[in-house]
Amino acid sequence: MSRLLDSGLEQLTTMLLKMGETAEKSISESVEGFMQGRDATKKVHELSEVLLTMTVSVEDKAFELIVKYQPVASDLRIINSYMKIAYDLERYGRYAWDISFTHKKLADSQKCVYSWDLMEKMSGKALEMVHISIKSLRDQNAELAKTLAKTENEVDEIYFKHLDHLSKAIPRTKCVVCNLLVARYLERIADHATYMGEAIVYIATGEKLTLR
Amino acid sequence: MAKVDVRKLNVWFKDKQVLKDVGMEIRENTVTAVMGPSGCGKTTLIRAINRMNDIIEDSHTTGEILIDGENIYNRSVSVYELRRKVGMVFQKPNPFPKSIHENIAFGIKIHKIAIGRKLEEIVEKSLREAALWDEVKDRLHDSAFSLSGGQQQRLCIARALAVEPEIILMDEPCSALDPAATAKIEGLMKGLSEKYTVIIVTHNLQQAARVSDFTAFMYLGKLEEYGNTRSLFENPKSEVTETYITGRFG
Repeated sequence: MSRLLDSGLEQLTTMLLKMGETAEKSISESVEGFMQGRDATKKVHELSEVLLTMTVSVEDKAFELIVKYQPVASDLRIINSYMKIAYDLERYGRYAWDISFTHKKLADSQKCVYSWDLMEKMSGKALEMVHISIKSLRDQNAELAKTLAKTENEVDEIYFKHLDHLSKAIPRTKCVVCNLLVARYLERIADHATYMGEAIVYIATGEKLTLR
Repeated sequence: MAKVDVRKLNVWFKDKQVLKDVGMEIRENTVTAVMGPSGCGKTTLIRAINRMNDIIEDSHTTGEILIDGENIYNRSVSVYELRRKVGMVFQKPNPFPKSIHENIAFGIKIHKIAIGRKLEEIVEKSLREAALWDEVKDRLHDSAFSLSGGQQQRLCIARALAVEPEIILMDEPCSALDPAATAKIEGLMKGLSEKYTVIIVTHNLQQAARVSDFTAFMYLGKLEEYGNTRSLFENPKSEVTETYITGRFG
């Protein structure tokens, strides 16, 4: 027999998965824009605004379910984690916007090829992490979510190598600063993918893991 | 050492085994909630703690219940003394058909705990501990039946406290009360656990979550899961517990 809470949880899941799609799209758009030297601000801005609105809707729905049904056990873990994940997805949108905005402001949306191999590697891994975080959410796959820890370490490693490289760059052009900031945003995106992974593991197992 | 240590407890009513190898340690000065579906044995379990099942014809108990290390099923144990030490509050308020004052004083006199001024002090103290004193201090000689349901239940708690128990058993003490009266009793339980060990049977999951430090989940006469209340409600170990507390049961 289905419970009254079940339809609410289904709605919440649908909202979050929709958010996931939007968040992935916003990051792909901004990172690809940056890598290809193309202005992505308009599209990314729209998507990040949509994500902001969706976060509020997810929070509202989650509160409604708590107030009406006083969920416990796996139901409570799902609602609590969905609220955290909604925040992570909203941050994806925010960093996507930061990348596109910085790219436009500092590099006039042109290709900034300085330290390019590291940028390519880092953005590839960040995109992969976003994809895995959303896929593991959709499939409620804790094992897949746990794999994010390894990639996050790799992103960190590249990030620090990149920082080292950029700090020695002469001359310190706007392009170098742009790459520096974008690297920072990519590193933060990777962090949020890992937070999502932790929340997904918690939903599935009740285990409070630190994947970072 | 546990205040109450239940070891391999089995209870039969005629041929029907109601409790099966139940074992649990209940810590002193805590609130422990016992929950589970109807017929799972939760009331039988708490009634075993002050040997109330003994009065049921054809009941049979094996195993041990140690209170402060002593098995209450030993022949040397006085059931009369045991029931003074382990008080009980029932589902429906059941005051005596006497005055408010007499309801409290009765047990004190029967157990010869005090007389005169000392008795009056205990009456007041018990009513205060049950958070009822302020509401009845000017009408102590009115009939107990003139009180509301919630007040009657607190009177029954005060009556249990008056004989200086160490453990208080509560069998669904709020099931007949409205939300305001329930909130008062729940607040009371938390306070009582500073001095007493409180064990409550409840059907109300949220109540168990609100008031207890530890929760036991019983199913088909067995102790299915027992642990810290927060853990049990956040991340139960047993699938049956999860199914029950999330309302997917049956």
